[in-house]
Amino acid sequence: MQAERSDIFISVIETNKGIIYKVAHAYCIHAEDRKDLIQEIIVQLWKSFNRYNDEYKYTTWMYRIALNVAISFYRKENRRKRLTDPLSDNILDLVEDNALIETNKNIGYLNQFIAGLKELDKALMLLYLEEKSHKEIAEITGISETNISTKIGRIKKILKQKFSTIQA
Amino acid sequence: MEDTQIINLWRSYGQKLEESLQLNRKNAEEITRIKVRSFLASMKPLKIFTIVVGILWVGFVDLLIIKTFPAANWFFIVSAGIQVLLTKLAIIIYLYQLILIHQADISEPVLETQRKLASLKSTTLWIARILFLQLPVWTTFYWNKSMLVNGNIALYLLQIVITGSFTFVAVWLFRNIKNENKDKKWFRLIFNGNEWTPLIKSIELLNQVKEYKAGA
Repeated sequence: MQAERSDIFISVIETNKGIIYKVAHAYCIHAEDRKDLIQEIIVQLWKSFNRYNDEYKYTTWMYRIALNVAISFYRKENRRKRLTDPLSDNILDLVEDNALIETNKNIGYLNQFIAGLKELDKALMLLYLEEKSHKEIAEITGISETNISTKIGRIKKILKQKFSTIQA
Repeated sequence: MEDTQIINLWRSYGQKLEESLQLNRKNAEEITRIKVRSFLASMKPLKIFTIVVGILWVGFVDLLIIKTFPAANWFFIVSAGIQVLLTKLAIIIYLYQLILIHQADISEPVLETQRKLASLKSTTLWIARILFLQLPVWTTFYWNKSMLVNGNIALYLLQIVITGSFTFVAVWLFRNIKNENKDKKWFRLIFNGNEWTPLIKSIELLNQVKEYKAGA
């Protein structure tokens, strides 16, 4: 029973690993911190897995937890003891051959822009870029749909300005 | 860059990530073997240390009051009583805050969860306010009847100035340590250092949540 639950959990994580990586990337600039944040998100996902409410999609549940953990995540200068010490390796790794995605100039600018946003704006921008409907964004964030449109409109405006400055 | 171009850029980023991201199954399986930790086990050593020191201190002062009650002077009894009462209150708030943060359901929508967590974290301000409120009693506990009867005007004046200024500072801080003053210089000076960063962050986050709620 436990093994079966664990298998389902791992397959959910495997299918949606991009969500965890993108959220961690948006909220943690430093690779070492990101590694810890990814681990923390997966630990919290596992701890909440029992309470998963199938009224919502797996992705909604994952986004809520990943964003809540990422926003509350705070790393002090002196490194905090990891929750699971034996796990010294990364849980999510980028295959070396494809490491160039990180070096793509425009993706770099976009990630840089997202990293510079305030915590809640960052969450909205990520969900917008992931092409989530306003209804789904509202379910994940708890922000009203009209407020989502207004906020996303403002963030996009700043983003466009930034890109035009870079390209000018 | 147009909306569609930005979306396409992000889409291509996502596709490349899908191809290149690998889940370390062994480590992921390790996580599924983690048992849900108790409240105590989840606490950081520094927090446990702070609470233990606080409880030991409160126990020590309580014992001192009880043991010396028949013989001790009232200045000491009242001062120590106020000090220990305020410390107990601060410990209770601290513990209550930690328990509620531990119990918070992070699978709930982001805005409400963050509002709850940030509000809880910002109650640390209440702990600071209460602890500052005990400042004046540190200037009165050593007084006794003999000093009162035999003291001279200079001693009285000095005591009045010291206790008066400590009381003024304590009341002023109690009234002014609040979210709205987080950007003031004196506030930053008191709450300077790494251990206060989560508090400052939570106040900033509360402001963001307010902005979002106001726009709703």
